Amino acid sequence: MPNQSGSIYGLTILSPIIIDPKDLVCHATAIRDFLATLPHDHNSPFAKVSSTHMARLVVMDDVVFVGTPAREEHLESRYLVFETNFDGDLDTYLLSMARDAAHEVDSVWRHCVGYPGLRDPGAFVEYMKKCQINTTFFFADVNNKTVQQTLRALKVQASLADFIAANQGLPAAEIQAAFREFVESVRSAPDPLPAETPTDDGPYKMARKQHA
Amino acid sequence: MTNINGKTYAMNAITPMKTWKTPLLRLVFFLLGHVPGLGNDLVNLSFIHFARWVIVPRDAFPRLAESQPEEHLHYDYLLFFSNFNGTWNQYIDAFSDVLSQGLNAIWIWSEKFPRARPVTLFKQYIALVQFDTDYYYTAYPRATTNDVKAAHRVSAAVEEFARESQGMSPSDFGGAYVRFLTKVQKDLGSTGIGPVGT
Repeated sequence: MPNQSGSIYGLTILSPIIIDPKDLVCHATAIRDFLATLPHDHNSPFAKVSSTHMARLVVMDDVVFVGTPAREEHLESRYLVFETNFDGDLDTYLLSMARDAAHEVDSVWRHCVGYPGLRDPGAFVEYMKKCQINTTFFFADVNNKTVQQTLRALKVQASLADFIAANQGLPAAEIQAAFREFVESVRSAPDPLPAETPTDDGPYKMARKQHA
Repeated sequence: MTNINGKTYAMNAITPMKTWKTPLLRLVFFLLGHVPGLGNDLVNLSFIHFARWVIVPRDAFPRLAESQPEEHLHYDYLLFFSNFNGTWNQYIDAFSDVLSQGLNAIWIWSEKFPRARPVTLFKQYIALVQFDTDYYYTAYPRATTNDVKAAHRVSAAVEEFARESQGMSPSDFGGAYVRFLTKVQKDLGSTGIGPVGT
């Protein structure tokens, strides 16, 4: 299925934006204004929908005229483009959006034609599917790892470098004992937050502190 | 405009295509997806997390209410979305250098596409058809796609070594530990804030 590469789903949504000449602020501008306030770190709405690897929201104002002899034409509506790459199946993801990022979803999509609100999550899922455009060709460089597996692997990678530096030159028996503790600390560490800003007191610095 | 988040750049582009060309482009994508080896250059570039091409037929823009004006378009449209590492110029240069034939096969069906080489005209075309991102999120903004792949190799190697080294004597562990370090050293290094991009 072109929407999927391995375990990654590539969703493309085009939601027509409401046109109302009576509004003081047009709906496309209102969407842009709201999007400009959203955080990009672990407080992002997409961090709450934690199966999201990468996502974007774009107001598409019009199609592009590439010059003569091509014909110049214009869209009648502006469209909100939602492009996201996530783990798992579409229904679960959309329901998670409705549940875990309800305020942000509502603040954005209430400016779109036909948006049913979130009182009935099933209606929201059906609405989004009406706006879905099937992907023609989808490429995912790493298509067999979840967000959480990748975040955890990145933590292991960073902490292993610290561990090696901290234990360099020690007798083999000491390194062996330290490595056991390191592996245990890695395995028992809490799940990393998506889009988290690392700090020096991250869970995997434990090994360095203990053996420095 | 927020095309950049950490080390990743979100590119959007839209190009018009005459409707009779759309089936030919669909055939190109079918071959790319089904003939082994045709997509190797894209994989080997190794600085694209995710990319997609989406054909929107001229009558397929969603219309969800009678009150929404109907679109009257002459062209079908090809949308392109990419999540890549590095700067815009690096990306287009690499695309032009490494993937020119593949890009020509995909975009030659779009109006006025100048071909991927020479790169100057190609860049002018991309700049014309690109539109900016309003909000961009990535779960791992400090990591490139090579960082991600290296991290998964390190993570797997740690688990493997933990299993293999169980019950080893300290002297055996010392030798095995050196071999383990030799295996993972190319994948170590820290992720962090990316350089300022264009």
